[in-house]
Amino acid sequence: MPAPLTSEMLEANRARSAAERAAIDASCRGPVLAFAVSAVFWLLMGSVLALIASIKLHSPYFLTGSAELTFGRVRMAHLQAVGIGWASLATVAAALWQMCRLSRAELIYPKILYLACALWNVGTLLAVFGIIFGDGQSVEWLDAPRYAPPFFIAALGIVVAWVVAVFRRRREPHVYVTQWYILGAVFWFPWMYLVTVFMIFWAPATGVVQPIVNWWFGHNTLGLWFTPVAVGTAYYLIPKIIGRPIHSYYLSIIGFWALALFYSWAGMHHLIGGPIPGWLASASTVGSMMMLIPVLAVAINHHMTMRGHFHRLRYSPALRFTVFGAIAYTAVSVQGSFEALKDFSEVAHFTHYTVAHAHLGAYGFVTMIYFGLFYYMIPRLTGREWASPLLIRVHFWCAAVGITVYFVALSIGGWWQGRMMNNPDVPFGKIVTYLLPYLFTRSVAGVLLTVGHLAFAVSFIMNLAGWGKRRSGGPTFFVEPGG
Amino acid sequence: MSAVDLALFLTVIGSIVLFGGAAALALGWAFKSGQFENFQHGSQSIFGPDEPPGEPTDAFPGEPAPRP
Repeated sequence: MPAPLTSEMLEANRARSAAERAAIDASCRGPVLAFAVSAVFWLLMGSVLALIASIKLHSPYFLTGSAELTFGRVRMAHLQAVGIGWASLATVAAALWQMCRLSRAELIYPKILYLACALWNVGTLLAVFGIIFGDGQSVEWLDAPRYAPPFFIAALGIVVAWVVAVFRRRREPHVYVTQWYILGAVFWFPWMYLVTVFMIFWAPATGVVQPIVNWWFGHNTLGLWFTPVAVGTAYYLIPKIIGRPIHSYYLSIIGFWALALFYSWAGMHHLIGGPIPGWLASASTVGSMMMLIPVLAVAINHHMTMRGHFHRLRYSPALRFTVFGAIAYTAVSVQGSFEALKDFSEVAHFTHYTVAHAHLGAYGFVTMIYFGLFYYMIPRLTGREWASPLLIRVHFWCAAVGITVYFVALSIGGWWQGRMMNNPDVPFGKIVTYLLPYLFTRSVAGVLLTVGHLAFAVSFIMNLAGWGKRRSGGPTFFVEPGG
Repeated sequence: MSAVDLALFLTVIGSIVLFGGAAALALGWAFKSGQFENFQHGSQSIFGPDEPPGEPTDAFPGEPAPRP
């Protein structure tokens, strides 16, 4: 029987482990912060574009003086700013940092990642402003002008290579479920992106194959790029913050493989009722329903892990955002499965109901979890606490209330919009007028979200500027490298 | 079948083989390397001596985390 560890040995172990963690964080500090700062910049840009687009839907004479600010361009530019800008850059930051930590391996040659970050930002800049100045493509999610994708492909190549390199240098033999999700995302997304760009732009497929490929990509950008990294992040943050291992690790692995198996089928439910083979839409509906397996696995696991610890939501900002995001993941995924049913689609399709659903996924789930990650990760990278608890509270409540109001208003308005559009006795003009209060409410929600983003950005800048207290002791045994 | 059609066909078939093959390889490697053997250890791998289970690791700035 081994001799029990003395208190000195325990303390030495603790210090060694803290020093290793600090060295790992220090190795990826620069690149991860570069991706995170760019992500927040594009979040603000995307918010402004979203507000302009939203206001135009209920006040059509708002900013009508220029072609650059017409709804079609501003809305596409918003999607690129938040999808390729904010969410993707945050995904990369999340993937890099967590892969380093979970592999217990330092990032090598971090300067190359600055190049990847610069390429990605140039690509996003070209995408957003290219669209505004009239070079957009009429392909949902791939609206960026043709000169933007090479920048994303180069940047993505570097990021993928570095994530895999960190994984291969791992000192931790066990592959945690978050690493599975990250590895899945960095394998699936570049492959999807290349195939889609090839089949739509470089060697265009003919006929209905194009929208099929388009929606396979559009849906899977959320499902096989943002979702794995965001769900993986929740699997890391929730147990880590409350100090309790995941309830059923077995279930978490089942959830990952079920997502890998079923998610890529689901994209065709966007084309239900469209001129595609019936079996394709039906297979997609089946895939969407099968997604209930991984979703319920994640929901049960997160809930059971949190059981008895919900009071901690009062004390931890990161946990608050992450748990909100995890609950939204369950809600949006279950909703999405049923939305894929043909009878449901008859009403909800081509209405604001789908817009509400998309925002519950991209914002309520993905964005809220990334906010949680940033609140946890940034102080550990900069060595500074957040300077203002008030700004964090403003951010949380604006984001939580904003996305809830947004979702409820557009879901109700969109559902009745669908019902009226299916009734040939209702004139189209009446439907447009009916929607005005719901669209106005959406703009109010958008203002709330933007205020939250401003509070977040101010907090972030204050942290980077060193206004927060230096981290020492406290809930995390943080050691400055070399300290 | 034109050259473009052939390229598209090969892209789709190649993707299916690559995607399925990679998933099968990953699953095989995971079984062989014992990733699915000790779930208790796996779930604990995110903790360490400095951040052990039972210790919360986040709180509002300036406020202590509640004890477990």
